[in-house]
Amino acid sequence: MAGPRLYSPFDKTMWESVAEGKMKIQRCEECGTYRYPPGACCPNCLSTEMQWEEISGTGKVLSWITYHKQYLPAYPAPTTVVAAMLDEGEILITNIDHAETKDLAVDRPIRVIYGDHPDGYRIPRFTLADGPAS
Amino acid sequence: MNAPQTVTPAASDLSLDNVAAVVGIGQSDWRADYKSVREGGKPTDSYGYGAVSFRRALEDAGIQKSDVDGLIVGSPTSFERASELYGVTPRWGLQADSSQAIVAAMMAIKAGFCEVVALVYGNDQRSAKVQYGGPQAMGGGANLSYVYHAPFGLTSQGALYAMMQRRHMELTGATEADLGQVAVGQRAWAGHNPAAIMKDRPLSLDDYLSSPYIAEPLHLHDYCLINDGGVALIIMEKSRARRQGRKPVTIKTAFRYDLHGGSTTLRPRLMDFYHTGHKVVSEKVYNAVGFGPRDVDAVLVYDSFSCHIPFALEGFGFCGIGESGAFMRETGIGPGGKLPVNTHGGHLSESYMQGWAHQTEAVRQLRGEAGLNVPNCRNIQYISDVVGRVYSIIYGVD
Repeated sequence: MAGPRLYSPFDKTMWESVAEGKMKIQRCEECGTYRYPPGACCPNCLSTEMQWEEISGTGKVLSWITYHKQYLPAYPAPTTVVAAMLDEGEILITNIDHAETKDLAVDRPIRVIYGDHPDGYRIPRFTLADGPAS
Repeated sequence: MNAPQTVTPAASDLSLDNVAAVVGIGQSDWRADYKSVREGGKPTDSYGYGAVSFRRALEDAGIQKSDVDGLIVGSPTSFERASELYGVTPRWGLQADSSQAIVAAMMAIKAGFCEVVALVYGNDQRSAKVQYGGPQAMGGGANLSYVYHAPFGLTSQGALYAMMQRRHMELTGATEADLGQVAVGQRAWAGHNPAAIMKDRPLSLDDYLSSPYIAEPLHLHDYCLINDGGVALIIMEKSRARRQGRKPVTIKTAFRYDLHGGSTTLRPRLMDFYHTGHKVVSEKVYNAVGFGPRDVDAVLVYDSFSCHIPFALEGFGFCGIGESGAFMRETGIGPGGKLPVNTHGGHLSESYMQGWAHQTEAVRQLRGEAGLNVPNCRNIQYISDVVGRVYSIIYGVD
């Protein structure tokens, strides 16, 4: 499959888990610390022993931005990107349906869904967990 | 009973404070080269912009090239090739960003590796069409945050700052008009600076607010210029600097603190606005000089994007945490304001020289040779927090 650029030998496993609709991130086998993006060692204890754990997929909004001009071929404007704190304590940054932008607020619950990237791979995305604001 | 002997603490011998001074500055013709490049020209390359600036800095210092025994070049050029092309045979040298270059010069002089250091920066980023966004963005090899999120729709350094700015506005109630004080204030300073690329392009708050968003909430005018150019400085041991013709500008102190934990996913930006680093560095530099933010005559902040300024003002104690919006609006940071900020126009309105021209502006203000001089200017503070590497340098005159 055409895939995203890989930045380490550990990225492949993560993208394969995304393709299955069950995104996994690394967790240190010795001290239990999560890490994202994938990498060779634990930033807490330097252990290179790790396991892959599926994320809960739930978290809270930290911030967001909206592009009003297209920069990336896969993302025509307007397009909105959200940074969220996952329940695991790691930050995930990805996009949300632009129509949901007006309902975004700091600390709003959010959950991961999966979508298709035009280059032929799947990506995790966000949607508001509690639906649009009333 | 004998009085205890006065013992000089060992640490004082290790201090870099007041060891070195700037005796010469130079820069290329940013305005003319900007025009030429926009018309498709290629005045020279990064080495050429450095050479123009280096020669002017030597003339300004009143020294010969052969007096130079240390060379620091900016990140766009190779140290070895620059040494070859510039005909310098250094006893010591390296390649560095602007903040680290100043600190490295202080260290080398203190350690006796060399006595006269030339700092030479040249960058042909505009004519060479350097990309600061996209999956192959400049700097992505060192800072994964610049490139990692492209598959998810996030690209460009501006967007990373926009993400910080949105959260800051949501948490503090600061408005886009508050942030607009930066672009408007710096453009007003640039109006007095004959070297500023945007000298003849006044900007009102209405202009700012009606300009297009790039990555909302950041507008066009929150982004720095991209232009070709060069900057150079000559730094010497302070007592030798005093014997030179020009009034030396002392590098009173400098300090650094890095925040890289979770940096790819913007943790130190979004959870902290880099304030942890600001706090450590501010305590260190203010203790070293014996005064605080209220006593600084002007502050120069690395401004690839406007929002560097409010975050730094909060972190260094110019105002309370979360209070920068009201502070900038009420105190005033432009000409006539109570806290002059980026008195040359900064990266937004003067020239994007990646912090190098902030160092030369500090020298100009302290010599009284700036476009618009801050009255009775004795101390200038430089602050940089690019990608979580927090630096501050305090310059002063005796």
